[in-house]
Amino acid sequence: MIPIYRRRRLINAFNLFVSMLAVAFGLFWLGWILWTLFSNGLQAIDWTIFTQSTPPPGSNGGLANAIGGSLLMTTIAVIIGTPVGILAGTYLAEYGRGGWLAPATRFINDILLSAPSIVIGLFVYAVYVANVKHFSGWAGACALALIVIPVVLKTTENMLRLIPNSLREAAAALGAPRWKIITMVTLRASRAGILTGILLAVARIAGETAPLLFTALNNQFGSANLNQPIANLPVVIFQFAMSPYNDWQRLAWGGALLITVAVLAFNIIGRTLFREKIPLQ
Amino acid sequence: MDDTTIHAPKIKINNLSFYYGNYQALKPMAFEILENQVTAFIGPSGCGKSTLLRTFNRMYELYPNQQARGEILLDGQNILDPRQDVNMLRAKVGMVFQKPTPFPMSVFDNIAFGIKLYESLSRRELEERVEWALRKAALWEEVKDKLNQSGTSLSGGQQQRLCIARAIAVKPEVLLLDEPASALDPISTAHIEELIHELKEDYTIAIVTHNMQQAARVSEYTAYMYLGELIEFGPTDQIFVKPKRKETEDYITGRFG
Amino acid sequence: MNEHTLRQFDADMEAIRTMVLNMGGLVEQQLLRAINSLKSGIDDAEHDLLADEQRINSMEMEIDQLCSQIISRRQPAAIDLRMIMTFLKTANDLERIGDEAKKVTTKGQEVHNSKRVTVAHLHELTWVSQTTRQMVQKALDALARLDVKAAAEVLAEDERVDAEFVSIVRQMASYMMEDPRTISVCIEIVLIAKAIERIGDHAKNICEYVVHAVKGKDVRHASLAEIQQEIGQ
Repeated sequence: MIPIYRRRRLINAFNLFVSMLAVAFGLFWLGWILWTLFSNGLQAIDWTIFTQSTPPPGSNGGLANAIGGSLLMTTIAVIIGTPVGILAGTYLAEYGRGGWLAPATRFINDILLSAPSIVIGLFVYAVYVANVKHFSGWAGACALALIVIPVVLKTTENMLRLIPNSLREAAAALGAPRWKIITMVTLRASRAGILTGILLAVARIAGETAPLLFTALNNQFGSANLNQPIANLPVVIFQFAMSPYNDWQRLAWGGALLITVAVLAFNIIGRTLFREKIPLQ
Repeated sequence: MDDTTIHAPKIKINNLSFYYGNYQALKPMAFEILENQVTAFIGPSGCGKSTLLRTFNRMYELYPNQQARGEILLDGQNILDPRQDVNMLRAKVGMVFQKPTPFPMSVFDNIAFGIKLYESLSRRELEERVEWALRKAALWEEVKDKLNQSGTSLSGGQQQRLCIARAIAVKPEVLLLDEPASALDPISTAHIEELIHELKEDYTIAIVTHNMQQAARVSEYTAYMYLGELIEFGPTDQIFVKPKRKETEDYITGRFG
Repeated sequence: MNEHTLRQFDADMEAIRTMVLNMGGLVEQQLLRAINSLKSGIDDAEHDLLADEQRINSMEMEIDQLCSQIISRRQPAAIDLRMIMTFLKTANDLERIGDEAKKVTTKGQEVHNSKRVTVAHLHELTWVSQTTRQMVQKALDALARLDVKAAAEVLAEDERVDAEFVSIVRQMASYMMEDPRTISVCIEIVLIAKAIERIGDHAKNICEYVVHAVKGKDVRHASLAEIQQEIGQ
């Protein structure tokens, strides 16, 4: 082997080694977190966690109300946020070629996307909660919706942009009006990607604690009344984990495990869906 | 083999020019496209032949800052007139593109899409029309059992024929073909050329191609363009055996300089 | 005409052109032999006659093959197409000229050997054979330079040759009536004259091909006046 070749192989081997070291480093911490989560949380998982509400300290109970509240607020946030995100994303991709509105919208959206969620929570508090003078599930859902919108908007716009113009032209060449091209061809072609975006948004808000602290707060009892503070998993975990009570701490671990598994599931589903249905060759 | 009937002009182009912003892409030109004949546009890359083709169905209007000036008379009516409804125009003047672009739907829905835009047919009439279009495009035998499969599951040559079937299903009067076979292998290309030969009995066809021999094979009239200018327009036999302009002869005989 | 972007195309065309002109040169030599044999009856290179004929025939076949190759490989159009057609047909006509020249040579010898011939008989033939030889030379020249004016001149001369042939036949007829013993010789002379007239026609054909190649107009069955008008344009 000539010297240049040998040197290259050495550099290659070195870089490979360092990269693998970095991977191992990342995986190590991830593994440790998951291990801790599972070993502490699994013991808390049984049927009661889904059937009983949060107990006062010292007695048995579950997380049913928190799970229910989280589900409710997440669903409403998605119902509010998805249409807004898709419509805005469609506007940006299909109509926003010139003018000032589109660039401004994109800019603000990017800010919102990376805004700390606590700021969002504070915003909803200041604008809504402080005025009506009580916490509520609606406020919580609003805060979560404000996190969903930028994610869905960005994904929708990106997916639509991936669709080649030739497809739009082919539909236009048949005499289809603009809105039909968008709904029946372009959006249809990117539906897998947009769905992925929604799933990723859901995964994101499933674990958000900060915004809920200022809006939905928490409730010891189960209820479906969104006009009052409502129980939700993240805040419950926060509260129980900081407490000195063992059974509360145990429940907190269980809740943390539940959230992690849910977020993991959403992510995996989202990604497999996207990989299977590639929009266009 | 020789067609001796007199063909009326279907499209008359008067003093047509085209601008991308301030850049003049097409210099003023005038010629006629005759009914039920195939007119081919040839020329080197960038000569403006695709730009010209896309003025016939105002496809350029999808993009800002593109403007056509002059007149294009389709059956006597100027299609560049702002009062002309552009979607109705596109229902009369169909287009097939270089890259096959099946919609993300089943084969059947692909063809039905265009039909449903302007006609309301019963389910049975729709099925008949779809079959008719697929037969005309020489695709029926290959897809008749797969009508519900996605359009994207077909091969390249089949996808292009699907796009042709989709274009003729709406029964336009004029078909614009923008390099329809350039992405296909020789066998698929031959099928498409044969198809063009049959289609011209019912439609007026304008085809842009960078393959000179293809233009010679399929067309009755040929236009040679260079740098946005129409250099020569005439019967294909004349252009390929004794062209009038030296520039045309140089291009056709491979003397590219 | 500037060059093809594909240089090999130019090389291929030039090869065919050269071969056609070389073939023409060989044919001109055959014609020289024919004229000498008419004048003196001696062909001082008998074996050369056959050898050259073989070469002419094989050249015709080779030109055919080269033209087929160009057509299949290059799909020639416009001027290239017309030139290929010209080369193909010219080669064919040249081969025929060669055949007719050989006929003239052999029959010329026979006529001289028959000893019944007089200077007068052959004088007619001399003029017409010289003229057709010049026509062939001019035709090949016109082909080499793609000169339609020269081609037109040959076309005009062919009319004179045709007229001359008619008069030769009349002359021979009157000789035969005077002296029936000369009938067989006179018939031979008529046949020689016919062969020479054919050579003139082939030269005319070549010039018509040249006009077609340059002007794009097929003048094969047009009258001389029409052709001259076409060239004047």
